[in-house]
Amino acid sequence: MATAQTLRQKERRRHLWIYAGLTPFVFIAVFPIYWMLITAFKQDPDLYRMDNIPFWFNLAPTLRHFKILFFQTNYGAWIVNTMTIAAWVALITLVTAVPAGYALARLRLPAAENIGISVFMTYLVPPIILFLPLSRVVAMLGLQDEWWALVVVYPTFTIPFGTWLLMGFFKTVPMEMEEAARVDGCGYLGAFLRVVLPVSVPGVLTAVIFAFTLSMQDFLYGLAFVAPGDQKPVPVGVPTELIRGDVYYWGSLMGAALLVGLPVAVLYNFFLDRFIQGITGGVGK
Amino acid sequence: MTPASLQGGGPEPTARAAVVSVAVPLRSRLMFQSQTSRRLAFGYLLLAPAALYVLLLVGAPFVFSLYLAVSDANVGDPVATFIGLENFRSALEMDVFWIALQNSVIFLVVAAIFKSILGTSLAFLLLQDFPGKKLIRGLVVIPFTLPIAISVLAWKWMYDSQFSVINWVLSRVGLIGQYGTDSWPIWLGDPKLALLACIAVNVWRTFPFSAIVLLAGFTSVPLEVLDAAKVDGCSFFQRFRHVVAPMIFPILMIGFLFDTVFTLSDLSVVYLLTQGGPANASKILPVLAYQIGIQAGNLGRGAAIALFLVPLLAPAMFLFLRNLKRREY
Repeated sequence: MATAQTLRQKERRRHLWIYAGLTPFVFIAVFPIYWMLITAFKQDPDLYRMDNIPFWFNLAPTLRHFKILFFQTNYGAWIVNTMTIAAWVALITLVTAVPAGYALARLRLPAAENIGISVFMTYLVPPIILFLPLSRVVAMLGLQDEWWALVVVYPTFTIPFGTWLLMGFFKTVPMEMEEAARVDGCGYLGAFLRVVLPVSVPGVLTAVIFAFTLSMQDFLYGLAFVAPGDQKPVPVGVPTELIRGDVYYWGSLMGAALLVGLPVAVLYNFFLDRFIQGITGGVGK
Repeated sequence: MTPASLQGGGPEPTARAAVVSVAVPLRSRLMFQSQTSRRLAFGYLLLAPAALYVLLLVGAPFVFSLYLAVSDANVGDPVATFIGLENFRSALEMDVFWIALQNSVIFLVVAAIFKSILGTSLAFLLLQDFPGKKLIRGLVVIPFTLPIAISVLAWKWMYDSQFSVINWVLSRVGLIGQYGTDSWPIWLGDPKLALLACIAVNVWRTFPFSAIVLLAGFTSVPLEVLDAAKVDGCSFFQRFRHVVAPMIFPILMIGFLFDTVFTLSDLSVVYLLTQGGPANASKILPVLAYQIGIQAGNLGRGAAIALFLVPLLAPAMFLFLRNLKRREY
């Protein structure tokens, strides 16, 4: 009995040490987000006074910054742009990466493994090398200065990643299922559509989420290809349009950033392990 | 050789022996053959859209950027002529190019040191079991999951020349003086601090990534293998050196290389915080390539500067590829 108690005490002490060690990390990670949050709801006079303790409200919280955001800027349009772009990118990624991932994983194509790796390698070609030639491509398609340009360009990184991810996923689907379907008279297409796809919904969903969150992580393409104020996606519009010369609307800026950033961060959070598995090649474990 | 072709080739000798039995094996061989080609045709058909997209919008642009780099293309004049290595030569003659190259390397190395220290300590903490682990892990990885252009804004506000919350704390603690005095750091306006301030943001954003990759590495080591080594009389360090290290090394390598590629080629942190200033103090290659290629409209020279990243990235890419293939088989 006594030993059990000391054991429990020991365990509790161990936990306390771990929490103590983790506290600085959590603080470093979360403080900027807390700071955005509180800035977004503070009144201007409260933001620009240094004699008060700035970590809490010294004046009543306000929604004024959000009003400015929605009524005096293109923020609403940016949100719509962001969502529409992401939806199109997800769709393009799906109709290309799902079949490609399946073909590479299951149809015993010669050199499938090498093709898969080459496709994935293109994910590592950084936008900074591609954006100048792509600006010509965008101009050729007549899409400069429209958000459609980004619908064309974002799949350059979502397709390679999605294909790789789904390739790993399809490898985990038991082969017998397809064979049984084929014995039952399904063609290759039938087996794929009616048997493999329905059990692959989680993998496909993951690919959609990544098409969405990876599009949100872009800044360079949006900056380079979309100039008109009402055509930008949120991550580009907020830093380029809400800063006018040297005047900073910090409250609105932080509000705008958080309102879109946090949901994306939370969503990404749930799929982070899949992302890490994807890039480290340990897919389908 | 595919299984189907093996089976298709098998019955052939018997088919020659008896006339009656010819029909069945021949037909089955044909069927197998047509099945193989049907399967391959179907496979390539499924692969085609993704492959075409990547070829047309990554492969072709990459080749096109090589072409841009040896041409005098600019935004105003779409007809480009070949000028050889002139863009590379003139880039090498720009002082700012060398500053940017140096800053890029400093950025990469200093950031890597800090994020590996922070990432490793965090990974060891998260390796333990304790109540609330999921929540804490979720909180700690937020910097990595937040869109970068958005979190940089928070830092820009925290680095504000007058209302910086960092300075507020430092001033209250007594480490620095009041606003307006010499000891009041202007993080983004001081040539000595600007690059460091940008590096800090990169470290903040990517140390959770290092930690999670390390964790993935550690958890990929099966406990049975460790137990087996223990039973065989391996000491802790032997186990680490001969069992854990070789198993997690490929994963670490890939994480490291990923981070190298993204840190070297990311422009958003520096562009949004300082635009490379003050006086080029925080200029890095991607920002320079953007400013010359898009803002100054000199596509050729911009492409040439961006391509200087390739020799920096190529070893990383090569190692990555080798690692990946070794893991596959």
